[in-house]
Amino acid sequence: MNGKKYIIIFALMAVMTALAGQASVLDSLRVDARLGYTVGGTLPTKLDNKIRHVNNYDLGLNFAVSIEADLPLNKHWGLHSGLRYEIAGMDVDSRVKNYDIEVVRGDESLDGIFNGNVRIKSAQRRITLPIQASYYCSPQLQLRGGVFMGWLTNRRFWGWAYDGYLREGSPVGPKIEMGREPGERGDFDFDKDMRHMQWGVDVALDWHFHTRWGLFAELTYGLNGLFKSGFTSVQTLHPMYGTLGISYRIK
Amino acid sequence: MTQIIKMLRHTFVMAACVAMMLLNTSCFGDEPKGCEADIETATLHVAYPEQFFFQATDSMKVVFSTDSVISFTVRSDADVSALAPVFTLSQGATVEPASGSMHDFSKGPVLYTVTSQDGKWQRRYSVSVVPTSFTVADTLRFNFEHYELETGTGRQCFYVWHNTLADGTLGNDWSTANDGFRISMSTAKPMEYPSTPLLEGYDGAAVCLMTKDTGPFGKMANKRLAAGNMFLGTFDIRIAMSDHLHATRFGIPFTARPERFTGYYTYEPGPTVQDFYGNPIAGRTDSASVYAVFYRNHDAAGNETVLYGDNILSSELIVAIANMGYVTPTTQWMPWDVKFEYREEVDEKLLEARGYSLAIVFSSSASGGDFIGAIGSRLCIDKVRLITTHEE
Repeated sequence: MNGKKYIIIFALMAVMTALAGQASVLDSLRVDARLGYTVGGTLPTKLDNKIRHVNNYDLGLNFAVSIEADLPLNKHWGLHSGLRYEIAGMDVDSRVKNYDIEVVRGDESLDGIFNGNVRIKSAQRRITLPIQASYYCSPQLQLRGGVFMGWLTNRRFWGWAYDGYLREGSPVGPKIEMGREPGERGDFDFDKDMRHMQWGVDVALDWHFHTRWGLFAELTYGLNGLFKSGFTSVQTLHPMYGTLGISYRIK
Repeated sequence: MTQIIKMLRHTFVMAACVAMMLLNTSCFGDEPKGCEADIETATLHVAYPEQFFFQATDSMKVVFSTDSVISFTVRSDADVSALAPVFTLSQGATVEPASGSMHDFSKGPVLYTVTSQDGKWQRRYSVSVVPTSFTVADTLRFNFEHYELETGTGRQCFYVWHNTLADGTLGNDWSTANDGFRISMSTAKPMEYPSTPLLEGYDGAAVCLMTKDTGPFGKMANKRLAAGNMFLGTFDIRIAMSDHLHATRFGIPFTARPERFTGYYTYEPGPTVQDFYGNPIAGRTDSASVYAVFYRNHDAAGNETVLYGDNILSSELIVAIANMGYVTPTTQWMPWDVKFEYREEVDEKLLEARGYSLAIVFSSSASGGDFIGAIGSRLCIDKVRLITTHEE
């Protein structure tokens, strides 16, 4: 797992070296510093009917900073890459019915079907390397799309099932009520079950309204699940971030 | 390329769904059908309830999720040949034979099958209506010789005990909190539970109660230990997590006037008493509980009640207590003999009508309900006697 950390760095170095080898190419290279506000979350592959209502969804104060380079290859097409640092989290409170849940602590586990409310919080810090194709609609407007690889430097995923009841093991198992306060509710903590490595697709739109300043919107969607394979405590979740921000042209 | 377009499309669909989630809920689809198949309550309506039941409140039973046997205790001369129990069921569930259908209970229990709304789950219940005459022996004997592994849901593996009733059959009057311990320590072996049999007790088998560490779950829930306990009454697993002091429902209806409470015990306090947060309390030695409480089982408003972990020694309904008080540590079997101290006279009519209940409570850590005690404290109990007087 640890080796993957270096894949990003090597890939970046490879791109830089290739670019540095061609002085003429470097002349047309554009470099931006970017700052964005990120709405981060994790989503199930399908929103199933077991989630009955979202009581509250807190986007949190998340941001992304990056240095990104764009290399025009011809009038319309170019290559785009960079290095991003993203801080994202979410806090979702939802009401569920017949929801499969498993709480694990050490060797002990408690699982079954839950009816009630589930609060899920997550916080992640991610270093991301995007590799994208750029399409220049006009000198001001640019579309980007491609893939990214991300490495989580910090990962938290926790929450609790509350104000409801668990049918332990199966719908006809013992009924165990869960209250609202710590100790009465069912807490879970899945930090260690999260993957370090994420990869996926992203799309973006750039609008250079000024010689140096621009606005951008970017959407990234993780294609591998948030959790390691074999993890079944919660359904498969995919990381997804939307970012709105400003860019400043350094070169 | 088409793959990438597909991925991008998927991304946008997800984004649209997030937006809808934020706005409201139309992404969620129809509510899933119910998958539970419980009888939640059972009620018997009869023409003259006062001639049929001992207490008016006996006509309705709240059924625990762990129960599959529902038994109505009625007067010995009650006619049980044509009765129509009415049930409340899990949301959308159905029962066969139907709720409210007429059956002859004089031939024994009637079996009902409940099917969940989604049709995927079933539970079977045995309902009986038992005409009963209470012949309480002058001395009730509890020897703890009848125990077995609980196998109700196939996943449970701890010991339960049966008492010998007046007619020689086995009853289920003794309960423990073993089922609650299982929530936190699902991997525990039967002999690792707080309440276990001791093969060689004072006389035959005894029961051994030990305060246990509740492991990582217990720590997470700030319920770091489980005292070994045993009591006359029922344990309600439903609220073991959310309201643990009310999960221990102390007492069973009792139709004689208890006089003395005797038995044999050994007690070895564990090495270190810990507080609620698991920190050691220096200089304190753990103490055990050995007591019996006789109380009126209907409150001032006429509602049937039991005593709980938070009022078993303080309720205004208490009529008499036989409390051993300080349980002197001993590794040798020691006898105890405690008289019931009465606070009020016993009403004979109420006694006959099952208006009193008796609770006997043993615990290896007296403050176990507050999660204070010493892990390893061990209270063993054998040959318990309850000596009563009958006033004919």
